[in-house]
Amino acid sequence: MNRGLLTRRIALVAASVVLMVVGTTEIRALRSYRETVVVSEAFTKRVSLSTYFPGIAGTLMDTSIYLFDSGVPGGSVLILGGAHAYEPAGAMMAYVVMENIAVSRGRVFVIPRANMSASTLGMLGNAYPPFFRIQTGWGEKKYRIGDRETHPLEQWPDPFTFVHYPSTQNLAYQDSRNLNRTFPGRPDGNLTERTAWAISELIRREKIDMTIDVHEASLGYPVVSTYVCHQRAEEMCMMAAMVLSAEQFPMKTETSPKSLRGLTHREVGDFTDSFAVLMETPEPFIEKFAGPMTEDLMLAGRDEFIQTAATRGLLYTDYDIKTGASLDYRVGRHLAGAAEVIKQMGEFYPEKAVRMTWPTYAEVMQRGIGSFLHDPAKADQRRVFRN
Amino acid sequence: MILLQQVIHQTYFVMAAVVALLLLSRLFLRRTRPGLGYDIVYAYTLIPFILRALHIK
Repeated sequence: MNRGLLTRRIALVAASVVLMVVGTTEIRALRSYRETVVVSEAFTKRVSLSTYFPGIAGTLMDTSIYLFDSGVPGGSVLILGGAHAYEPAGAMMAYVVMENIAVSRGRVFVIPRANMSASTLGMLGNAYPPFFRIQTGWGEKKYRIGDRETHPLEQWPDPFTFVHYPSTQNLAYQDSRNLNRTFPGRPDGNLTERTAWAISELIRREKIDMTIDVHEASLGYPVVSTYVCHQRAEEMCMMAAMVLSAEQFPMKTETSPKSLRGLTHREVGDFTDSFAVLMETPEPFIEKFAGPMTEDLMLAGRDEFIQTAATRGLLYTDYDIKTGASLDYRVGRHLAGAAEVIKQMGEFYPEKAVRMTWPTYAEVMQRGIGSFLHDPAKADQRRVFRN
Repeated sequence: MILLQQVIHQTYFVMAAVVALLLLSRLFLRRTRPGLGYDIVYAYTLIPFILRALHIK
C-alpha cells in the first residue's frame, strides 16, 4: 500500500472516531448522569434492591430503596417510581415524597428508579431530549427522561415472543425488557424478570401492605387519570377516586383485568399479600399524535394537536391547552392520589394505617415542584444521595 | 440458566468486536476495490460495531 493510500485510510478512521465521540456525547451523558436527592429528616436508611435478591447484584438494575420508618407500629407502603422511565412524573413524585415526607405511624419504602437501566437510555426513533430541568429557588435540577424498557446493554437479545412467567401468556418481544410486564418475576429469569422478582421479594419479606406503582399514560389511552387496582384493593380505590373527584381533580378507577399479565396491579396482588395499586396521569409528551417532543412539552404539557383531539372528543381525559397537563399537575395528582388511597387503607383496615404527610396537590399547583426540591450543596451531606 | 443468558449476552459484544476488527482489516488490507468510496463505507460502518463492543450504544 502506498503512503498516500495509508494516510487517507488512517484519516478516515480518525474521522469515524471523531464522529463516534461527538455523536455519542448525549448518549454517554445520559448513561452516566446521576440525579441528586436530599432526603427528608424522616429518612431511616437506604438499601440496595439486591439485599432482597442477590441475583441482580452488580448490575444497573440493583436500584436503591429508601426507607422512612416512624418507629410506630402500623402499615407499610411501597412507592414504586420509574418502572417506565419515560413517564417521569412517577420518579419525580417519588423524589418529592423523599425530600418532604414526615411519617408518624408505619413505614414508607420508596424506589424512585425501579428500572434504573431504562432511565439511562433514549427511545429509539423518538427524537426527544435526554434530560429535563426543574427550576428551583436556588438553581435548577436536572433529571433523566429515559425509555420504557431495560437498556439492551444490560439485556440482549430479545426473544421472538416473550412468554410471561408463570402464566405462559405470549407478550410482545420487547416486553421481555419491560419491568411492568415481567411481574411477579422469577429468580432464574432474564435480568428484568429477576428485578421484578427482587421487588416481589421485598414486598413479601417486608410485609408491604400497599404497593403503589406510579405511571403516566397518553391521553388517547382509556386508562388515563385512573387508579388500576387489584380486586383486593378495589373498594379502597373506588373510595379514593370518589374523594379525589369530588374535592380535587377527576380520577377514575378500574379493576385489574385477570387476563392482563405481568403488570404490578395483577401480579403483585396475586403473588403477595400487598394491596396492588397503579396510578396513571395524562402525559402529553408520550402522546403519539403530539407535536415536537421538547423539554417544554414535558414540563408544560401544552400541545395544539392534543387540543384538536380534545375538541373532537377523542381523548379519555379532560384537556385544555390553556392549562395543559404540566409536570406540576401530574406530580401533584400522584402525590394526592397516593395519599388518598393510603388514607383509605387505614379506614378499611385500621391496623394497617400509615400516617404521613407530603406536599399536597394544591401546594404543588400553587408553588411548583421546584419549591419542594432542596439544595444538595446546603444540605446535611448524610442526607444527600445520588441516584 | 442465568449463566447461559450471560454467555449469549456477552457473545453479542464479542461478535461486534470481531466484525469491527474484520472491517478494520479490510479497510487497510483489501486488494480489490481500492477506491475512496469503498474506504468511506468501510470506515463509516465500523462505528456501530465499535460502539457496541465498547458498551456505549
